[in-house]
Amino acid sequence: MSKSISAPLARTARLLDLVPFINTHQGIALKELAQHFEVTPAQMNADLMTLWMCGLPGYTHLELMNLDFESGFVSIGNASTLSKPRAITFQECVALLLGLDLIASSWPSDRQDLFKAAESLRKRLSEILGLPIKLSVEVGTSGAVATAIAQAIETNSGLKIRYHSLYKDQVTERIVVPVNLYESDNHQYMRAFCSTAMDYREFRVDRIDQPTPADFSAEFPANTESSQKLSFSIKIMSSSRDVTERFAIEHSTTGSSIELSSYSRQWIERSVMASGEAVLLSAPQEIRAEIAKKAQRMLNRYKEA
Amino acid sequence: MSRKIERLINLTIALLATQRYLTKSEIFRTVDGYEGSAETKERMFERDKDDLRTLGITIDVGSFDPIFNDEAGYRIRSENYQLDLGEITPTEISLLSLAADAWQGAAFADAAQSAILKLSSIGVPADPIDIPGLSPKLSNSSADLETVTAAIASSDFLIFDYLATNLESQERTIVPFALSNRTGFWYVSGVDQEIQEVRTFRLDRVQGAIKHSKNKEPFEFPASFELNEADTTVTSRSAVIDVRKGKGYALRRLAISVKDLGEWDQIKVPIHTLETLGAEILWHGEDVFVREPSELRDFIVEQLQALVSNHE
Repeated sequence: MSKSISAPLARTARLLDLVPFINTHQGIALKELAQHFEVTPAQMNADLMTLWMCGLPGYTHLELMNLDFESGFVSIGNASTLSKPRAITFQECVALLLGLDLIASSWPSDRQDLFKAAESLRKRLSEILGLPIKLSVEVGTSGAVATAIAQAIETNSGLKIRYHSLYKDQVTERIVVPVNLYESDNHQYMRAFCSTAMDYREFRVDRIDQPTPADFSAEFPANTESSQKLSFSIKIMSSSRDVTERFAIEHSTTGSSIELSSYSRQWIERSVMASGEAVLLSAPQEIRAEIAKKAQRMLNRYKEA
Repeated sequence: MSRKIERLINLTIALLATQRYLTKSEIFRTVDGYEGSAETKERMFERDKDDLRTLGITIDVGSFDPIFNDEAGYRIRSENYQLDLGEITPTEISLLSLAADAWQGAAFADAAQSAILKLSSIGVPADPIDIPGLSPKLSNSSADLETVTAAIASSDFLIFDYLATNLESQERTIVPFALSNRTGFWYVSGVDQEIQEVRTFRLDRVQGAIKHSKNKEPFEFPASFELNEADTTVTSRSAVIDVRKGKGYALRRLAISVKDLGEWDQIKVPIHTLETLGAEILWHGEDVFVREPSELRDFIVEQLQALVSNHE
């Protein structure tokens, strides 16, 4: 259930869900039951007390549920009306469908058994939804790549990869030792010791291609954060959504100046170029000059042609 | 408080157990907990019905004897109340738990966990499965997802301010029917009520809160809609550009055709808008040169002139 429901309603839902759970877990320890439903044992005791008072109209011992929990172990009888698990709600169903799609995206393609099981679940869950709605998650990372990285981290071993560096616009082959996988700005990154740079580097996982296990026996320093951030400032000449999203800035009114920083000089240069007339780089001076020269050379070429 | 909870449980049991519709007076007479004046009981019952519906329980309203008694009756059908996923295997239970865990700390974390709680009552133990690789998380999730799914469930309107490319907010009203996440961004697709066409919106471009408003008209789901086509407008225009060998990978990915020119390759790419393609071309600097069409060349030249004069 979502957070928006009130405490008494959440408790009602818990009581309704308790009955089928105890029914299939007869004799479960009260403590364990409390843990499963994420409440204190005292709260669970109170819940069971309340349930004990409930049943079919008439409310004699014939109609009331037969709950036994005094011994610290819980069992239930005479609860057939509520004994089946409750149907999952639309939102719960959506959550499971999207979650399934997401986890399936990381599986290696040889796990047909899992794909089959997921497909069968998706079909049954969609039937519960009962609407022709579309739901999907695409992570943009191939399962094979993710698997190879995870295994390399686990075994602390090397990986030969082809990597497309967007800022340098180059595809290079290199041997890396991955140490960490993390998510930032909607993308998955791998931190690894790179044998080409002889230092730690961050790699976007979706730009890694053809990972294969590789030997890397040389000594390398422990993982430390060493890269230096470069400060730069831009002036917005004409604000647009593209500029806002490219530089990941909150507000950008035309004429405003903004201080930013980046690990990559190339990224700064390319982002300013891509923004064209909309952005003016006011500092650092070297990158400014480089942009002016480059743009002039490109202009000359268009004029010649 | 626990009196109310008891009453809600007793009402659920009574409505589930009955084989026919129960009238309000029968409910007040037999279900434990309805006390006070007729008016009080009435109010209690109305609130209880709403509460059960909030919990996702469907209450049928009907008349058990339409000819002689038009008093409305109520019941909960067990097929609506009970979970029906058919036979479920231990592997499937594990997959569903993993699917639920993908939401950890994100929008549907609570919904996903309560679904798992219900599934655990089936009594099929999870089978620990060995899945190599990452277990990705949907951490970049939006607080609006709940509003969006609630509107999808009932084909209601979503009203929101959307940031256009010129940074102006435009109010949009849609009937949503699709929700997707691509490389970390959430997209909602729906029928834009102003133009009666399917449009897709990126949730992080929505300004402020999304409003949910009741739609009383029946909604017809668009028949041919594929999520992966959602954000690419069909275009017949294309550009011819030269790309230096070993460079311009992002542009090459868009290419419809490639011609080998020796030091350079000539590729053809679709033009969706001059601005987006132009920015992509400028990003690649001296490794890319536009041949056709002239409007794209003019656009690039104009941008370059501004870049020179801004940075000289």
